[in-house]
Amino acid sequence: MSATFGEHKQFLGGSLTDGIPSLVAAAHELKSPLALIRQLSLMLQENDLMIAEQKNILRQISLTSERALRLTSDLTRSVRLSDALFIMEPINPQQLCEGIVRELTPLFDANNRDFRLVFRKHPLLLIANRDLLRRIIMSFSDNALHYAESDTPIEIKIGLHNDGKTVRLGVRDYGPSLPADVLESLNDKLSNTQNTIHARPQSSGLGLYIASQFASFMNGRIGVTRHRDGSTFYVDLQASLQLNLL
Amino acid sequence: MTSHTVLIVEDDKWLAEQYFRVLSAKDYKVTTTSHALAAIQLIDDIQPDAIILDVLLTGSTAFTLLHELQSYGDTGVIPIIICTNLADELTLENLSSYGVKQIIDKTKMMPADLVLALQNVLP
Repeated sequence: MSATFGEHKQFLGGSLTDGIPSLVAAAHELKSPLALIRQLSLMLQENDLMIAEQKNILRQISLTSERALRLTSDLTRSVRLSDALFIMEPINPQQLCEGIVRELTPLFDANNRDFRLVFRKHPLLLIANRDLLRRIIMSFSDNALHYAESDTPIEIKIGLHNDGKTVRLGVRDYGPSLPADVLESLNDKLSNTQNTIHARPQSSGLGLYIASQFASFMNGRIGVTRHRDGSTFYVDLQASLQLNLL
Repeated sequence: MTSHTVLIVEDDKWLAEQYFRVLSAKDYKVTTTSHALAAIQLIDDIQPDAIILDVLLTGSTAFTLLHELQSYGDTGVIPIIICTNLADELTLENLSSYGVKQIIDKTKMMPADLVLALQNVLP
C-alpha cells in the first residue's frame, strides 16, 4: 500500500495547498534553498576542507542564493502585477531564450546538466512583456533542473500552434512521466488560477501559480504536456502579426 | 570507526552531497538516491543498516517508501531517520510504527547531527 497524494496532503494538514499562494507556500518554497545554504555555510566553517571543495561549496551557495532570490523577486512581481505598467511588445522568443540559456548555464553546469535551446530555422515573433515572459521560462527551467531525472538534458523549444496564431515556448525535461491523474488535475487547475498548482508532490506549486498569473496578464496561458519520458511545461502567447513580415 | 552502510534518499543533489561529505568523513559507507522507487531497489542491493530519508521527493513521497519497507520483514526493521523541512508537521509518535527512529529538522540541524542520529540508532 502506498500513500496517496491525498493522504499526504492530509498528513501535512493541507496547509501548503489551500487557497491562493499564501505566506505558508512562499515560506515552504524558500525553506529548501535557505536550509541548503545554511548547511553549506556551516560546512565551510569547518577547517578540514580542501581548497577545491571550499570553492565548490561557495559556488553552490551563490547559485542557490540566486535561485531563492529569483523566487522572491517573482513573488513580489506577482503581488504587484495589477499596479504596475507592463509594456506588451513584439518579442523574438529565440533571442530571449538564448539570453536565458546563457544566464542559467552556470547553474546547470554546476549540476552537470545540459541546458539548451532547440533552434528554429525560421524565427518567430510573439506579443508579450519581456520581463514577465523571461520570468516564466526561468521558473520552468528552475523547476525542470530541480525535479527532472539527473544526467538528462533540459531543452527549451519554440513552436507555432493554433494555425499560427499562437507561439508556444516549452521547457522539456526527461525522466519519470507525470502520472495521468496528476496531469488531469494539473490541467484543470491551470484553467483556474485561484489556486496554487501542483505538478510535483514536493512542490507547493507557488512557481507554477506565479507563472500562470504572469501568462494570464499577457493574455496567454501555461500548460503541461506529458511525455512517455518526461514533461513539457509551456506558455502559449499570441503570435505577432509582424510575423508575416519576417 | 564504523563500517555501517547508510542509504540517503534526498532529491536535492547538493544537500545529498553534503550529507555524503559529512558521513563519509566518519567512515560510513554511503549511497545516495533521489527517488523513493529507486531507493526500494537499492535497499535490496546494498542492505543498508540505516536510511536517511527526506519526506518530499521527486515522484513518490517518502510515505510510499515507508509503506513498502513495512511490507517485508527484513526491510521493516531498518532504522529510518527522517530529515525534512517539514519537521514541524510530523511527530515521531505517528511515524514510529514505520520504523522512524528520529526526525531531524533540516532548517535547524548542524552537520554533525546526522552522525549523532546514526550513533543513536545503530549499535
